[in-house]
Amino acid sequence: MVRVDNLGKRYGSRWLFRGLSFEIESGESLVVLGQNGAGKSTLLKTLAGLVSASEGTVEMPEGDRRLTVAVSAIELSLYPHLSLREHLTLTGALRGCPGREEELLDFIGLTHARDLMTTQISTGMKARLKLAMAIQARPLVLILDEPGAGLDEAGRELVVRVVAEQRTRGCVLLATNDPLERRLASLELQLAS
Amino acid sequence: MNSSWLAEVFAVLRKEAVAEMRSRTAIFTAGLFSIMTVVAMSIATYNEKLSPSGYAGVFWVALLFSALIALPRTFTIEEEQGTSDLLRLTARPHAVFWGKAIYNLIQVWLAALALSVLFCAFAHLSISIPWLFAVAMIGSGAALAGAVTLCGALVAQAANRGALAATLALPLLVPLIWLGVAALRVAIGPMGPEFTSGGIQASIGLVCYGIAALAIGPYLFAAVWKNS
Amino acid sequence: MTNDSSSSSASVLGIVGKALLIVGIPAVTVWGFMVPPAEGFMQPDLARMLFFHLPCALGSSIFLMLAPYFALRNLRSKDHADGVAWDIRTVAATEIALVTGILTLVTGSLFSKVQWGEWWNWDPRQTSFLLVMLIVAAYFALRGALPDAERKAHNSGAYLLAAVLPIMFLIFVYPRLPQVATLHPNLLQKGGGLDANYRNVFLSTFVLVTGVTAWIYQLRVRAGLYELELELQNAELADRDRPAATGMVRPVSLPSDGG
Repeated sequence: MVRVDNLGKRYGSRWLFRGLSFEIESGESLVVLGQNGAGKSTLLKTLAGLVSASEGTVEMPEGDRRLTVAVSAIELSLYPHLSLREHLTLTGALRGCPGREEELLDFIGLTHARDLMTTQISTGMKARLKLAMAIQARPLVLILDEPGAGLDEAGRELVVRVVAEQRTRGCVLLATNDPLERRLASLELQLAS
Repeated sequence: MNSSWLAEVFAVLRKEAVAEMRSRTAIFTAGLFSIMTVVAMSIATYNEKLSPSGYAGVFWVALLFSALIALPRTFTIEEEQGTSDLLRLTARPHAVFWGKAIYNLIQVWLAALALSVLFCAFAHLSISIPWLFAVAMIGSGAALAGAVTLCGALVAQAANRGALAATLALPLLVPLIWLGVAALRVAIGPMGPEFTSGGIQASIGLVCYGIAALAIGPYLFAAVWKNS
Repeated sequence: MTNDSSSSSASVLGIVGKALLIVGIPAVTVWGFMVPPAEGFMQPDLARMLFFHLPCALGSSIFLMLAPYFALRNLRSKDHADGVAWDIRTVAATEIALVTGILTLVTGSLFSKVQWGEWWNWDPRQTSFLLVMLIVAAYFALRGALPDAERKAHNSGAYLLAAVLPIMFLIFVYPRLPQVATLHPNLLQKGGGLDANYRNVFLSTFVLVTGVTAWIYQLRVRAGLYELELELQNAELADRDRPAATGMVRPVSLPSDGG
């Protein structure tokens, strides 16, 4: 489903990571581990196509990437002047898929906050919204960068549910240092620092 | 150009408009800038009646600078907010460019309209050939929107992006300044009928430049928008 | 074998070319002073400035046509290393266009001072060439402001491509518009050109200036590729202490379904 061959990313004369080769099949979840600065987020961004590789190749499932690959990352920001519902409407329209606004807001437990601007909600609520936006098009590959950061107990349960559901239709790539999230792995990738 | 493509462009356009309606920063800044330009020009030319060429030059430079101030913001703000990756993940590059370029086009046309009203009301500007003035404004707006939107996208991740966008866009817009002033001075007039064809030619040039800028923009944008 | 023979013939050609430049530059310089002074100028002797001024302008224009092509190749390149090499070519061509362009402006300004008494006349051709140089300067300003190497290459390349139409307008169209009067003679016009002596010297200096700039371009590209190689070697050295594999995938024995 995801095939990575000899992948490397270099900034100037420093290799952040290199020589990475692995394959992930449908139903699997890969957890990327490593110290701060080991390149976990950059690796996930490279896989998502947000950062170009310095060497090597990444093969993702065929089809429109907006629909097949989705990302929820701690670094991803939201629009300050749009409400939660408007975010889902926007990403649905841009991807060309149904917005599923009410269904997803209900799933993440934020129906009551649907018309609040993102400047009026907590970090945990933002993390939930990003999860909802990521699963909106029912992607084949779900990339999660520190999905549990800022989430309460119920929010973490939500991450577990999202990962479990995703594994029934595709695969998950997840970067974390959280021991609880590490338990979601069927494969582990340890990045050397 | 299918319905999904149009829906995507409209989604970007709507997002820009909604965000602007709620923050009102760009409209307020552009409006204030237009008023200040007219006040500054009236003080600078106190008791003087400008020639058509003088009016055309001042008007066009005012429009140019209001575009350089307002338009690159559509892209630079995505980087400042950290939302550009969200767009990269969910939208096709052409939809992003067209959505933002159309939004910028509306902004330039509104700025041109506001400047025209202010110049006519407070700076004794009278327009001899209104339709030529309108065509020149339509062409100028399209060219400014195309070129400045692209420059905004190119500098979005750069240091001192605001000043840099203007530095990049200005030399690209020089042919446009020449054509814009040539068309406007005939439209403002009154000049003899022998000048009208020159004004029409310059207006056609403006429209062509606008079409070229809007046609090339999406392709260059698509090449730089994804990854790195 | 084929590679060896082609590289050795290229090096022979290079040596011959350099020898021709070494002999040609002094010879054509002397020849330039031997032709009779041009007529119709206030300082006819100094009209020989043309032998240097015009080839620099043409050289600058040629490199300005090449640079966007290289930028396009970079933008279209799928291979990272290939893209970097095209970017090095783009920068080299643009740098040479800037240097020869500045030489054109400086020699033009000197000529303007001795012929018309002004350093700068706001002559349409002079102004349009200055604007072209401002576009080139903006290209370097953009490169300087972008921290990421790849974005630097892509965005500045796109700018250069966006500038092709304005550059064409400024070099070829604007100075020839009937509405603007230029002090520059139109050498392409029939009857308005150079006399035979001047034309021959000019063509020779044009060939020599083109040869020198092509040689500098080649050296600049080679230096850029060496710089890249050095950066890669440094990265290799820095990477030596890292474990053999950067990352290692291992299956987790008991996959959890979350709980």
